[in-house]
Amino acid sequence: MTANARKKRNVAALKHAVRSYPGFLWWGLGQATNGGLGFYVWMIVLTAIALVGANAWAHQVARGMIVTNMTDHVSWGLYIANFTFGVGLAAGGVMMVIPAYLYDDEDMHKVVIIGEAVAIAAIVMCTLSVLVDLGRPDRFWHLMPVIGRVNWPVSMLTWDVIVLNGYLVINLHIVGYLLYMRYLGRKPNPKWYVPFVFLSIIWAISIHTVTAFLYCGLGGRPFWNTALLAPRFLASAFVSGPAFIILVMRILRITTGFAAPPKPARTLIQIIRVAMTINLVMLASELFTLFYTGGAHGESAKYLFFGSHGHYGLVPWIWTAIACNLIGTGLFFMPDALERSNTRIAACILCIVGIWIEKGMGLIIPGFIPSTLHEIVEYTPSLTEWKVTAGIWAFGFLLLTVLLKLITTVFAAEAHKTEIA
Amino acid sequence: MAGSRGVIISVMLLAMLAGAAVAVQLRASSVVADGAVASEPTPNDPPADPSASQVATSAVRSSRGEAQKTFSVTIRKPAGPPRVATNLKDLHGEAVTVACSTCHSTRSPNLQNKTSQSLDEFHSGMKFSHGTVSCLSCHNAADYDSLQLADGHRVEFTDVMTLCGQCHGPQMKDFEHGVHGGLNGYWDLSRGPQQKNNCVDCHNPHTPQFPKMQPTFKPKDRFLEQSRSEH
Amino acid sequence: MTTDNTSPQEPHDGEYLKPLLPILDQHSTRRTLLKTAGAALGLAAFGEALSPLMVIPENVSVDEFLQQHYKELTDEDKKKVFARLEAETKERFGADVTITDSKPIPGVRFAYAINVSKCNGNGKCMEACNKENNHHRGVDQSYIRVLEMTKGSMDMENGSTTYDHTVPQDDKFYLPVQCQQCDNPPCVSACPIEATWKEDDGIVVVDYNWCIGCRYCEAACPYHARRFNWELPEIPAEEVNPNQGYLSNRIRPQGAMEKCHFCLHRTREGRAPACQEACPTGARVFGDLNDPDSAINYVLKNKRVFVLKEELGTKPSFFYFFD
Repeated sequence: MTANARKKRNVAALKHAVRSYPGFLWWGLGQATNGGLGFYVWMIVLTAIALVGANAWAHQVARGMIVTNMTDHVSWGLYIANFTFGVGLAAGGVMMVIPAYLYDDEDMHKVVIIGEAVAIAAIVMCTLSVLVDLGRPDRFWHLMPVIGRVNWPVSMLTWDVIVLNGYLVINLHIVGYLLYMRYLGRKPNPKWYVPFVFLSIIWAISIHTVTAFLYCGLGGRPFWNTALLAPRFLASAFVSGPAFIILVMRILRITTGFAAPPKPARTLIQIIRVAMTINLVMLASELFTLFYTGGAHGESAKYLFFGSHGHYGLVPWIWTAIACNLIGTGLFFMPDALERSNTRIAACILCIVGIWIEKGMGLIIPGFIPSTLHEIVEYTPSLTEWKVTAGIWAFGFLLLTVLLKLITTVFAAEAHKTEIA
Repeated sequence: MAGSRGVIISVMLLAMLAGAAVAVQLRASSVVADGAVASEPTPNDPPADPSASQVATSAVRSSRGEAQKTFSVTIRKPAGPPRVATNLKDLHGEAVTVACSTCHSTRSPNLQNKTSQSLDEFHSGMKFSHGTVSCLSCHNAADYDSLQLADGHRVEFTDVMTLCGQCHGPQMKDFEHGVHGGLNGYWDLSRGPQQKNNCVDCHNPHTPQFPKMQPTFKPKDRFLEQSRSEH
Repeated sequence: MTTDNTSPQEPHDGEYLKPLLPILDQHSTRRTLLKTAGAALGLAAFGEALSPLMVIPENVSVDEFLQQHYKELTDEDKKKVFARLEAETKERFGADVTITDSKPIPGVRFAYAINVSKCNGNGKCMEACNKENNHHRGVDQSYIRVLEMTKGSMDMENGSTTYDHTVPQDDKFYLPVQCQQCDNPPCVSACPIEATWKEDDGIVVVDYNWCIGCRYCEAACPYHARRFNWELPEIPAEEVNPNQGYLSNRIRPQGAMEKCHFCLHRTREGRAPACQEACPTGARVFGDLNDPDSAINYVLKNKRVFVLKEELGTKPSFFYFFD
């Protein structure tokens, strides 16, 4: 084949590909919404919860944020807590990408796309969590480059908007490209995705670092104003992300028969063991500094762990988190966790719950208690906030289900085709 | 292959770090770039060295000039010598009051008296708590419708501030610089007048300590517990 | 990497142009129909769930929605915007108001000082702020919080804002805190959309019509100086202060951030701020930092002055001093 002919063919193929990519998406949507009774029940339940959330949010926009339990003292609540956890979930997927692409782990290569799908769903959840936290969502366009007025690079929030959207786009590209190539029955061309995979590794670390900078850059909030925050965020993300992916793979195995090889999960468990240990060590050193030194800097931690001035609102939360994290870590270190066992599942669930609390109710809320004038106003999320949050999670799961359905369909189709051949 | 990946990753990490450094730099300079500080030679850190800032800013101020302060500062004056109620009413039903001199011109002054306990008739029930001064440190024994300075010079009730200022020099100095006694109206005398209180507007000369008050306005934030006297 | 193009596994030309699988063509009309119906139902339900959002077009006019940032408005634009806001105030609050746009006085830089020896915590400043600035009456909002502090300690842990007894108590002193109009304001750095900025006279202002209500500035402020409009403020028509500034005391929209602006609609016209006039103890001193003869410079030169949380490097234009 001459170079010219090859070029010609490539151009033709590209034209075809561009034309048919929307077609592929449409086909994918059709496939992803096919399923048995259980699948439809699941989707309908998720849709119902998402609707409840959407309705609660609409009321919140109409009546004002007064329907939340946030105040001028605790001005961020469940939404931002959830956002922080979601960023970790999204960043955690990189722990599949690194073994797969940096260490050429063949088995991990086969399932890495699941981590990327989780990242996409998580990022969408994060974006929604921020959106529902806005007092004026109708002015959202003020945040857009060119038509709005973006305070970049000074405001860390603009960085966060950029890295989150960037991460979403990168992952959409990688997942979309790889699936499309499989759909076409072609071998993916590394130059169209490998650079983006490397970019996504850096980017995954940056989304969580920037999110931590959002908080730790604030000198007026001593509880957040610590250099350890970003490393802690990363370490906990490398627990919650892989733990979540292990759960997803288990569910896929049960519901669709999509059988991932056993090695990737084991690799992830090893990563979790290390990351969780690092996370706990950093938590311990943080607590040492706060409590041993004492003074005003330790007031939030005192309130969080032991209560302060007769207020104990967060004490049950944080001890639940500590218990979950410690037991979960213990379980992860049992030999049983390396097999497909209930130990592994319990460990994953415990660590996810523990980290969700630690990064949300245990990190965002105590940053505001006591307030900067050392007043104590406590916070428990209102029903509206729970509804909206549940709605966002339901929507995230809906999206994840569709993505995974699409992935398993394409993969199964390819397996089928190999058999025919 | 693995080597080149390492290089790619390192380059990306470096780029990230460089980006962060730029952001930090810009944050530091943004306040200046904002125009607020940079556009004029204003003191960036006034408490540290106010005198230096004066040197820097005097040029700007001289153009505005003292002459442009066209409006005046008015200090409220007391009405004049006090009148004392008698519990009597005149033909029109108006209360009858008398001047201090009505009684005091016929009595001999007690130069030693420093308390209100020994006072009777019109002064009974009066409280006095003003250091160790005696009544006649301020009241003029020669003319009870006026006051007297420490050197014996007569001073009118309307000029009470001259009297107070004898002892309360620092307060007087603060007052003259607008730092004592509060004000109403304009801070900028080129745009409008200013009104200030005199000493006895706020301080009862016999019990000059500022009175206790009851707060009437409290924040009512949601979930903020009220009246935690000891928290 | 480009060598992959010629690798032996490469499919033949025709192969990849065909859709991958036979299962794609398995059309079940009934299933498609059901799915379409389901999708339609879902969309309808979603629309219904979001229907409370219809208040947005009712309350937010197209002009308001498209309104540009304060700094991008021409004088002509401002005239229209102010007229619209005045009409809206009339409609919603029943009050005739005038909205102005006082500009910084060239060469003036405002600063405030509070005499901690004098302040007795009576709270008249908060009340004056509430009335002057058209604050929400329901929660008795104001830009000032007065801390009752324990003598012998500057630790706010030992302070309280909710004291309710005769003042001053013998073992207490009082510390009013409001926006410190920092020279290095963390709130301005935090804002993602430049809805808050520092003006030439040192006042940090908010464009209430540009703010998206993310409340990052509120988290960033070390002085609890910022207030969020959790709901539309309620003010009886007869209590509305009709003398309003666009960047200061006009009635704020729901969902936007607000803060102390040194009463710029007064101070930029040369008048004293409302809290200073209201203070019965004369503890409050306000003036021009650039005027060597101003009261504020007298304080800085002659008194022992401190600022709150100096270690944070915010460089407040708000000082505290003792006699």
